[in-house]
Amino acid sequence: MDFRLTEEQELIRKNMREFAEKYVDPIAAEIDENSRHPVELFRQLAEGDWMGIPIPQDYGGAGADYLTHAVAVEELSRSCSSTGFTVSIHVGIACMLINLFGSEDQKKKFLVPMARGQHLGAFVLTEPGAGTDVMAATTAAVADGNDYVINGTKTFTSNGPTGDTYLVFAWTDKAAGRKGMSCFIVSKETPGMKAGEHFDKMGLRSSQTSEMVFKDCRVPKENLLGKEGNGMAMAMTGFDHGRVGIAAQSVGILQAALDESIRYSKERVQFGTPIARHQAISWMIADMATDLSAARYLTYAAAWLKDQKQPFSKEASMAKLFAAEAAMKHTIKAVQIHGGYGYCKGAKVERLMRDAKITEIYEGTSEAQRMVISGNVLR
Amino acid sequence: MPVLVACFKWVVDEAYIRRTSAGELDLSSVSYKISDYDRNALEEAARLKEAAGGSVAAVTVGIPEATKGIKDALSRGADQALFVADASFGDIGASETAVILADVIRSRIGNFDLILCGEGSSDRYDQQVGILLAERLGIPCISFVQRIDLEEGRLSAERRLEEGIERVSAPLPAVVTVLPDINVPRIPGVKDTLSASRKPVVTIGRDELAALPEAHFRTVSLTASRLDRQCERFGADGPEISRFVGALRQKGILR
Amino acid sequence: MAGIWIFAEQARHTLELLQAAQTIVEAGMGGEIAAFSWPGGPAPDELGAGGADEVLMLPPLAGDQPLEAYAPAILKEARQVRPDLLLFAATARGKDLAARIAAGLDAGLCSGCISLRWDKESKTLEMERLLYGGAAVHRIAPLAFPVLAAVPPGTFRAGSGNPGREPRIRHIVSPPASLVTVLERKPRERQGQDLSAAKVVVCAGRGFEKQEDLALARELADTLGGALACTRPLSEEMHWLPEDLCIGLSGIQVKPDVYIGIGVSGQVQHLTGIRGAKVVCAVNRDDQAPIFAAADLGVVGDLYAVLPRLLQALKETASS
Repeated sequence: MDFRLTEEQELIRKNMREFAEKYVDPIAAEIDENSRHPVELFRQLAEGDWMGIPIPQDYGGAGADYLTHAVAVEELSRSCSSTGFTVSIHVGIACMLINLFGSEDQKKKFLVPMARGQHLGAFVLTEPGAGTDVMAATTAAVADGNDYVINGTKTFTSNGPTGDTYLVFAWTDKAAGRKGMSCFIVSKETPGMKAGEHFDKMGLRSSQTSEMVFKDCRVPKENLLGKEGNGMAMAMTGFDHGRVGIAAQSVGILQAALDESIRYSKERVQFGTPIARHQAISWMIADMATDLSAARYLTYAAAWLKDQKQPFSKEASMAKLFAAEAAMKHTIKAVQIHGGYGYCKGAKVERLMRDAKITEIYEGTSEAQRMVISGNVLR
Repeated sequence: MPVLVACFKWVVDEAYIRRTSAGELDLSSVSYKISDYDRNALEEAARLKEAAGGSVAAVTVGIPEATKGIKDALSRGADQALFVADASFGDIGASETAVILADVIRSRIGNFDLILCGEGSSDRYDQQVGILLAERLGIPCISFVQRIDLEEGRLSAERRLEEGIERVSAPLPAVVTVLPDINVPRIPGVKDTLSASRKPVVTIGRDELAALPEAHFRTVSLTASRLDRQCERFGADGPEISRFVGALRQKGILR
Repeated sequence: MAGIWIFAEQARHTLELLQAAQTIVEAGMGGEIAAFSWPGGPAPDELGAGGADEVLMLPPLAGDQPLEAYAPAILKEARQVRPDLLLFAATARGKDLAARIAAGLDAGLCSGCISLRWDKESKTLEMERLLYGGAAVHRIAPLAFPVLAAVPPGTFRAGSGNPGREPRIRHIVSPPASLVTVLERKPRERQGQDLSAAKVVVCAGRGFEKQEDLALARELADTLGGALACTRPLSEEMHWLPEDLCIGLSGIQVKPDVYIGIGVSGQVQHLTGIRGAKVVCAVNRDDQAPIFAAADLGVVGDLYAVLPRLLQALKETASS
C-alpha cells in the first residue's frame, strides 16, 4: 500500500498553496465580512485549471484524477472554506454529473465552459419542504411539445445568484417514486427561472446561497440529463462525489485550525510560559492533529477508490461524516485555545468555527450520512 | 527562434530547517524546492520563448532523487530537461557545478543562444556558477540582470549595481545571471504540471561526463550559526522602560 | 610566499581588506600585500597608507567598457605572479570579477567570506561563510593555492593606517576590449544615510502597521544620533523605505555600536546583517520572536506603547 501522493500531486498541492497564499488569504476575511463572491478570484482560478481538475481535457478540464481535485480543495479551503466549497460543488457535482451522464452535445455545450471555469455550475435539489427527505419534493417538470415546463421552488442552492449552468431536479412521474425524478440542465438566462436574494448566513458567507423559483420555466428536451426517471440515482452519484469534496474542505478547515492553534499557543504567554507548554493546551492540539490525520486519510482513500473505479459511496459518506464532525469539534477548541482573541473578528479561528458548522449539514446531514453508512454496513 | 537554456538547482527549503535542543542543525524534516532565483531564470526563459519563439532546455546537476524538481522545472515553460544525476552531487561546490554544466551544455545543446542562471542559489548563495560557466564556455557573461532584451544575434540587458543601473550589450551566445526583480514567476496551472511528465528528460550519469571536476575546498566544520547573546528582558511599562534606558547608558550607548 | 592581492571599487573597502590581509600576514602566512588602483578607483597614496606594499595600477578603460573588462589583465598578471590569496570586496562587480579570475586560475573562490584565519601549525587558511540563508556556518580550507575570497563590505574594520607610507607602483598592461559594452549608465542618487558607517542603527520591521508610523522609529534614530534602516519586506514589498536602507543577507551588513530592532521578528536572513553589532536591542510584542535570542537587551511589548515611553525616558535622561 503506497500512502504517498505522486510527485505531480505534491507539486499541484504546493502550487495550490502558493496560489491560495497569494490570492485568497489577502481577501478571505473581507469576502466573509461582506458576503461577497470574488469574481476576480474565480477568474484567476480558471486560468490555473483549478475549476475542472478531474474533467477530461477534451471537455475543458485538466484531465487529472479525483484525488488531485480533493487535494486542491483541501489547500484552497485551508485559506477560505467558501472558495474551496464553491470549487468543490462546481466540479464535484455539477461538472461530474454532466461528465458522467451527459450526451456528447451536452458536454460540448455545457461542460466545456464549466470545466474551463468560464461558467459556474449549481446543483438544484433541496426544497423548503424537502431536505434530507428528498422524496418530499414538489417541483415538477411536465413534457410539452419539444420542451419540459418546470414549476416549483427550490432553496439553499449554492451558487444560486452567481451560477451559469443549473442542474435542476424535478418530478416527471411522481407515481414512479424513486424512479420518477429527472434532471434538467438549465442555463442562467432561461425565462421562468429566478434566483432569490442571497441568504445572510452564519458562515461560508462568501458562497452565494439562495432560493430558486421556477414559474413555467421552459427547458428544451435536449437539456434532459441522462434518462427520464434517472434523477434520483444521478443525485446520489452526485452526492458521492460531492461528499469527498466536503470531506476535503473539512480537512482544509482542520489544517487551518491546527496551524493557527500551534502558532498562537507558542506566542501566548501565561503563567510565565507559552501556553503550548501547558498540558491542557498541548493535549487539545494533539487531538486536533490526530483527527486531522484520520480525516485526511479517510478522504484520500475515498477519492482513491473512485479513481480506481471502485464503489465509494460508503467511504465518501464516512469521510464526510468524520471530517465534518472533527472540523466542528476542533474549530471550537481552536477558539478556546485563542481565548478572548479567538472570539473577535479578525481572528481566523472565529471564521473557521462559523464556517465549520455547515459541513455537518449540507450535502447530506451527519444524520443522513449515518443512514447511508448503516444502510451499507447492515445490508 | 532562440535556443534558450535555463539552469536550476533543487535545494533544501530553508524554511523547514530546525534546530535540535542541543542547538545543532536539524534537516530531518526539510522539503526541497527549486532555488528561488532559478525560478526567475526559468520564468524569464519561458517569457523570452513566448515572445520570440524557440525552445527552452532546463538543466540541473543533482542527486537522482530530484525527479520532482525536474517535473517542477518542466511545468514552468521548459520544453525538455537535462538531468545530470549522481548520489555524489548532493553538495558539490560552485566550480564543480560549472564544470559539469559546461560539459553537458556544450555536448548536448551545442548551438544555444542564451543561458540563464539565477544570480545565486538560496542554499549556498555562492553567486558564482553563471559566471564560471561563461568563462568555461568562453562566452560573455552579464551578471545581476533585472531586464533582458533579445535582438538578432545580440542581447541588451540592464544590470543593477550598487551605484545604479548599467545597460550593456553583448553578442550571443552569452550567459546572464538574473535578479529576482526581473519577473514574478508564474504559479504553474494543473495542466502545466501534468504535461511536465510527458516532456523529454535526458538523464546523464557521472561516468558519461568528459571531465570530473575536483573540489577546491575541504569542509572543516558545518555548524548551526550561534546566537550567543544573553538577552536581558524588560517589560513595556514606564518603570521597565526607565530600567532599559539605564541599561543603555551602562553600555555606553547614550551620549 | 607570494602574498595577498586586494581589489575593491571603494577605497574604504580596500582599507578594510588591507587590514584583514595584514592580520593574516602577521599570523604567519607572510608575503607582501598588493592592492589594485585605476583611474577613478582607490588612490595609490591611500592604499599605501592603508598598508599596501605595492599598488597594481590598471590603465584607463574606454568609455564603453564595464569595470569587469579588467578581468583578463588581472588574470594575466596573477598567472605570472601567483599570489596566494586574492581578496575582493563583495560588491556586485567585485563578485563578478572574483569569479572570472577564479575560473581563469582554476582556483577556489569563497563567496560571502566573513572570517579569515591563518593557522600557523597546520599552515592552513580557514575561511568562514554562511549557508541556508544564515542558519549555518560553513568553515572551509582551500586544498590548493591560489585561493580567492569575496568579502562583504564592513566585515573587517579598517585600520588606523600609516600616512605618508609610499607603496611601489607597478603598471599593468591593458586588457583586450570586452565583448560586453556599456550602452548607458544611470547612477542612483543616494537616498539614505550610509548605513555601513553608522554607529547607531534603528531598524524598523513588520511590526509597524502604516508607513506614517515609521516617524516614531525615525524620531528614535534622531534622538540617538543614528540612522534609520529596515528589514527586507519594508523596502522590497511595501516600498516604505529605499533598498539601500535594507539590512540583511542580500542587503547591507552593519557593524554599529548599537542596533535597535523595532517590530523586527528576527528572521535568520536579517540577523545575518547585524551579527557584527556590538550591542543588539529589540522591541517586539511577541515574547518568542527569534530576535530575542540574538539580542543583548530585549523589551517585550507593543512598539506603539513602548516607543513613546522610550522617547519620553530618553528626553528626561538628556535633560537631567
